[in-house]
Amino acid sequence: MLMDVLVNGITAGSVYALVAVGMTIIFGVLRAINFAHGEYYMMGTFASWWGIETFDLPYIVSIPLALAVVAAIALAIGLLVMRRLIDAPFQIGVVATLGVSLILQNTVILIFGGTYKMFDGGWIEPVEIGSVSLSQQRILIVVASLLIFAALELVVRKTRFGKTMRAVAQNIEACNVVGVDVPRVVVGTFVLGCTLAALSGVLTAPVTVSLYGGMGTSITVKTFAIIVIGGVGNVSGTLLAAWLLALTESVVATYLGLQFRDGVAFTALIVVLTFLPGGLFSKRERF
Amino acid sequence: MASVSSHGVNTHGNYVYANRQHGLRIAGFAALVAALAAAPLVASEYQVHALIVSMVFLLPALGLNLIHGYAGMLSFAQMAFFGIGAYTSALLAMRFGTPFWLNIAAGGLVAGLVAIPLGVPALRLRRYSFVMCTLGFAVIAQTIAKNWVSVTRGDLGLSNVPRPRIALWNGGFEISDIKSYYYLALMLAILAVLAFIAIVSSAAGRYMIAIREDETLAASVGTPTWHYRMIAFALSAVFAGAGGSFYVHYFTVISPTVFDPFYANTLLVIVLGGGVGTVGGVILGSFMFVALSEALRIAPDIRMIAYGVLLVVIVFACPEGLLPLVMRKIGTSPAKEVANAT
Amino acid sequence: MPTMTRRQLVALAATIVPLASRISPALAQTTGGPLRIGLVVPLSGPSARWGGFASHGAELAIKQINAAGGVNGAPIELLRGDSQGTPVEAVSAARKLISRDGVKVILGDIASSATIALQPVVEAAKVILLNGASSNPDITYKAGVGGYKWSFRSYPTDELRAKVILQYGAEKKNITRYAVLSVDNDYGRGAIAFSKKYLPTYKGEILSEDYYKDDETDFRPVLSRIKSRNVQGILMYGLPDSTRLIVRQMLEVGMAGKVTLLGNGEFTYPDTIKVAPSVLNGAVEAAAWSPDLASPRSQKFVADYAAAYGAKEVPNVHAYTHWEAVYLLAAAAKAAGSTETEALRAALEKIDYDGATGRVRFDDHHQAELPMFIYEVEGGKAIEKGAFTAKVEYPA
Repeated sequence: MLMDVLVNGITAGSVYALVAVGMTIIFGVLRAINFAHGEYYMMGTFASWWGIETFDLPYIVSIPLALAVVAAIALAIGLLVMRRLIDAPFQIGVVATLGVSLILQNTVILIFGGTYKMFDGGWIEPVEIGSVSLSQQRILIVVASLLIFAALELVVRKTRFGKTMRAVAQNIEACNVVGVDVPRVVVGTFVLGCTLAALSGVLTAPVTVSLYGGMGTSITVKTFAIIVIGGVGNVSGTLLAAWLLALTESVVATYLGLQFRDGVAFTALIVVLTFLPGGLFSKRERF
Repeated sequence: MASVSSHGVNTHGNYVYANRQHGLRIAGFAALVAALAAAPLVASEYQVHALIVSMVFLLPALGLNLIHGYAGMLSFAQMAFFGIGAYTSALLAMRFGTPFWLNIAAGGLVAGLVAIPLGVPALRLRRYSFVMCTLGFAVIAQTIAKNWVSVTRGDLGLSNVPRPRIALWNGGFEISDIKSYYYLALMLAILAVLAFIAIVSSAAGRYMIAIREDETLAASVGTPTWHYRMIAFALSAVFAGAGGSFYVHYFTVISPTVFDPFYANTLLVIVLGGGVGTVGGVILGSFMFVALSEALRIAPDIRMIAYGVLLVVIVFACPEGLLPLVMRKIGTSPAKEVANAT
Repeated sequence: MPTMTRRQLVALAATIVPLASRISPALAQTTGGPLRIGLVVPLSGPSARWGGFASHGAELAIKQINAAGGVNGAPIELLRGDSQGTPVEAVSAARKLISRDGVKVILGDIASSATIALQPVVEAAKVILLNGASSNPDITYKAGVGGYKWSFRSYPTDELRAKVILQYGAEKKNITRYAVLSVDNDYGRGAIAFSKKYLPTYKGEILSEDYYKDDETDFRPVLSRIKSRNVQGILMYGLPDSTRLIVRQMLEVGMAGKVTLLGNGEFTYPDTIKVAPSVLNGAVEAAAWSPDLASPRSQKFVADYAAAYGAKEVPNVHAYTHWEAVYLLAAAAKAAGSTETEALRAALEKIDYDGATGRVRFDDHHQAELPMFIYEVEGGKAIEKGAFTAKVEYPA
């Protein structure tokens, strides 16, 4: 049972982590809560489903297709909306991203119809590891998220793009002065973050099975909790926070009941925040 | 500090200008009240209903404006307090048959009292931690409403909540037709706006503004910042609780879905899109955004898409909210109550 | 009063001729103009996944009826209003449809709290409210002789559902040890509350009790616990899309063949069975309607629906109930020979309509007496095990 709790926490946490890390890097450069973040997760799932249903693509091929579609949409939103949020007051970001969320969610409903769809793909055969049984897809999710986090850490530490990202996160004005193309970095980071959310959507679709236009809404709230706990803009903090939240949820759901999960998990988070207002991992530098 | 009158100086220190504007604002407010009082004479029941909905949202929106626009903290807990007010009122009316005025007072009071212990940990937090913490309150409130079945009836909710009973010396009467509801809502809205103006132009209100503008400075001159933030937080809950109380007596049903993001997002749009830190902005926001969402019902398929597009366009066209835009059109500048901070 | 006698006569005729919906348009002079129906369901936001089916079902019925000449010589009109599943938006949408568009009937909502908020509104406006999807018992406790004269529900209550499931579980499957895993809303919670009322009768016990949010995606922790409690059956009153991911996760944690699902949530749909056939073998569902229903009228509906919206979209129970509700209203308008709301209401109260699931009649609380069908999955196919009906007992 304890093994189950642990495994369930880690697998669920890896999903959260992938969505949340995208939001945290966007937050880092823009200082804006992206209320539409869950919509990119939803669109990733939809794009993959669409590829499988209309072109009979194998699941593995539908993944890059979904990422490309979402990246293109994110680029458009980035250029039209997010770019204007640089240096804008906080409340503009809230209203603008709420608006974007309504647009994306209801456009998907308009195009594909409001009814729920079924996702047919992925590797869902169960495998036994010790006393725990889980699907191959979940092992893939955990491995993929570890690889992606390692790659992200490398990108933000070693590459030029990563360095400018950190620079923008720390001081936009100074970046302007030294000639960093800030809008370019912001849009680039935004596209990267949204594509990560989409990747999370595609990877989890085989185990969550059903998809519908409004499925992204609940993702945003949890994601937000994770980035606050992890320390805003902190990549590895996000991963640890996501695991921590998912483990707490797993414990509550296993021993107390599913109906108390969100309530208890949030109470725990608030208690933690009371003692560590900046999040658990705020001592670390941004990114 | 107290010697500066509430309508006092604007940032340019221009007394005459400020006074003229103050007069204009009173005239504008009076004209709006007169127009609203006359509205049911020409409006259809549907339009009257839409105006009532605007005023239902106006109360928690004023509360959000107080905590965010004046104390500088974006709270997502408004709908939690709105729900607490609604449940309190509904339970009182259903179990004890208490009159409306008592219910609404109790709804506001209970919400305010609940806010105080919640504020103790929450108000130590800054910015995003505070946002998350208050978001958590709404989640926790929903969990409680769903699971405390013996009181809230869980997901079945409380239905057939009695209509507002106005207790008078001769036994009183019951509000049932939509026009009576409308005038009750209008009365509450006027009272709430007046209460709001009284709060922000009081000494406490000026301290709140000072804290919002520069907390370190305010603290350094000896302002008990925590104390005033707590006042703002509790009062914002009172506004929300009173709004919830009217809501439940109008719609006659309350269930845990009231804590869903739909309502919280509507409030954010009203306050942030209308104009943070101004009374007029929130009033305008309440009416404008409800009107907008209702007007778009002509196209049910693209309604929320169009609403989303309009939100994005509006927020970039007038980043300070709708009010400054309207004020510019009629030739005066909005008075953000920065001026009165001393 | 001559009109009253005529109305009574027509209503009487309707009770004698049950196939009221399919008789040719009445030649009698009609009053009240075209039958205008306002559909109030969630069309945007997360709940749109239910409203989408309801909308498709109602639209299909309108198209079919109008192609056959409409009602009383005039086509039916359908106007849609978005409720987002919330009381505020539902009331706004309904008020707009009543005040601006002059609809005679509001068909909706799906969310119970929205339906309950609509009841006083239609009562004051003297417009009919026909509900085909909400499960909160309060809706008809307070309707008809209970108070609201203009509210009707043509959807079975969950009390019957809960009872027949336990009876079937005890008598045919010998199950006494249950776990509860239902959706955390009025439907899931309500059905379990009714189950608890009947559990002692069937010597059953509940060893674990969980309710999931309608957007829940991770059931592994709960399933692990249920697995460890050694239960025989899971009482699940859930959402169809969640059912699919629950059964897939049951497969994952190795519960296939060890625990039987009982309740409701499209367990017996081919699409669901396909997700995890080994888990669903032996699953028992009590449904108000199912696409597998043998009745020719139901089979024709399924075929027409597939022709209209593509074979990929299998109609769910909301699609069927809203489709049938439009036919029911058309039958009432024909019986009344009018679309005046008073006449429609009188006709609905007296109607004896032959629907795809059986006769539809409203009791004195305006609750339709509808059967519940029991299905069991055997060899990857849903097999009908009988239909059950019972009168609702109203609290005094």
